[in-house]
Amino acid sequence: MPTTTELYAVDRNVYAFRCPECGALYYPAPMVCRKCRNRRDPSVTVYPDFEKVPLGGPCRLLTWTRIYALPEGIDRPSLAFGVVEFTNGIRAVGVLMTEKPKTGALLDARAGLVRELVGRDCYGLQLFDPSP
Amino acid sequence: MREVGIVGIGHTKFGRLDYDLVDIMAWSSLEALKDAGIEGGIDQVFVANMGAGAVNNQTGIASALVSRIFLEPAMAETVENGPASGASAVKCGYLAIAAGMADTVLVTGGERMRETTGWKATDFVATLTHPDAEYAYGLTLPAYGGMFTRAYMERHGLTEKHLAMIAVKAHRNAEKNPFAHIEETASIDGIWDGPHREVVNPVMADPLRLYDLCPVSDGAASVVLTAMETAGRFKKKPIRIAGIGQATDTHCVFNREDLLDLKAVRLAAERAYAMAGIGPKEISLAELHDAFLILEVAESEEVGFFPKGEAKKAIERGETEIAGRIPINTSGGLKAKGHPVGATGVSQIHEIVKQLRGEAEEGRRVKNPRYGLAVNFGGFGNNVVATILAKE
Repeated sequence: MPTTTELYAVDRNVYAFRCPECGALYYPAPMVCRKCRNRRDPSVTVYPDFEKVPLGGPCRLLTWTRIYALPEGIDRPSLAFGVVEFTNGIRAVGVLMTEKPKTGALLDARAGLVRELVGRDCYGLQLFDPSP
Repeated sequence: MREVGIVGIGHTKFGRLDYDLVDIMAWSSLEALKDAGIEGGIDQVFVANMGAGAVNNQTGIASALVSRIFLEPAMAETVENGPASGASAVKCGYLAIAAGMADTVLVTGGERMRETTGWKATDFVATLTHPDAEYAYGLTLPAYGGMFTRAYMERHGLTEKHLAMIAVKAHRNAEKNPFAHIEETASIDGIWDGPHREVVNPVMADPLRLYDLCPVSDGAASVVLTAMETAGRFKKKPIRIAGIGQATDTHCVFNREDLLDLKAVRLAAERAYAMAGIGPKEISLAELHDAFLILEVAESEEVGFFPKGEAKKAIERGETEIAGRIPINTSGGLKAKGHPVGATGVSQIHEIVKQLRGEAEEGRRVKNPRYGLAVNFGGFGNNVVATILAKE
């Protein structure tokens, strides 16, 4: 049974998780639904897993930064991050691929390789200017 | 429940220390025992630490500390609660005495972070973020500090100059603190509007600059706790633990309804005030967890010193200086005193005790303090401990 990070790497995608009982949507995955207390079981042994819903598309930038002291696995001089909100209310962090980010701007989130660690690739959201 | 007081304090210099982690913790522990006027008789030891296993390749450090200073057969545990480990360990000590499990407790927080490279130290602290929704991206705590700062500036009109003014205050206080990591003076001319700003004070996590961030430090701090009913047998008068409050918030910062709402800080402070039977107006000084200077600003509002968005006016009026209405981070704070993560919460309490006893150095001594508040901030506000100490 892969961890969520491994699942993203295998599928090269990022998912939100929907409760099969009440339809509440979460990112990242909890182990119980906050609204109806329905249990989630990633191994599908005792309870069903939550439905995987690909995360991406139009979103709005809430705040951002660019950092110059980078951790392992980032081969760039700097790295910009943003917090975005999707139209369904889900929020996430992503790597900003736009040169001049602006709070409140509309962006397009796509899954991509965000970090290479020893023995594993990390897939996450990359945030682009919307296509014209 | 029994009332609990602090009868001994000890501290190492913060910075780069050429001792192993347990020796560093042993040093501050022995200083605290000496300050209390005892050599043993400790029933329980709590050690606060975050990274011994990951950074120093050592585990079981509470047992190691007990043995290094011959406190066997005292009970001993390590408390790990991220950067709030220190205040959590003091809380555990308080509970052990209040519940009657122990009469005298030694609490020591220690960290040795400069044994590794800067990026590894940053990476190890970042392991407290969510593994696939935050850490996998290379997101660091300074990155959250930068995003929080931008959101705060855009909403409340705080400027980079306000942060520079806090940095100058922190350095001024740290200069007079013999335990502080940073010993150099900072001036507004040098770090904010001078001709060499981009060299002296470069952007690290936009809009945060170098002087807006704490250094990576080694160090330890210790306190000896005892039941107030038996505190008379120690060398110095006890400083009473009047209130402790703690609260948690979402693991992922982005899942908070309002990104600027530090709910756990507010709730922890409210709980500590309720236990102490006082409010923010009674607090004489505070040590607020300023790993990034924006946190001193935001926490000072969440604990009730200033209305939301108004802290900048207090900074402009000098209200948080030593002689101001509510002196904040008289030790120099994490920003200039340093931030060995497991030691920080204990170090904050050490500073409050020192001020309430009237033992702080000339030039950074608060006049006639009665109550002091310490806020120890774990993660990016997902686990916060507030402690109120009182001079009897």
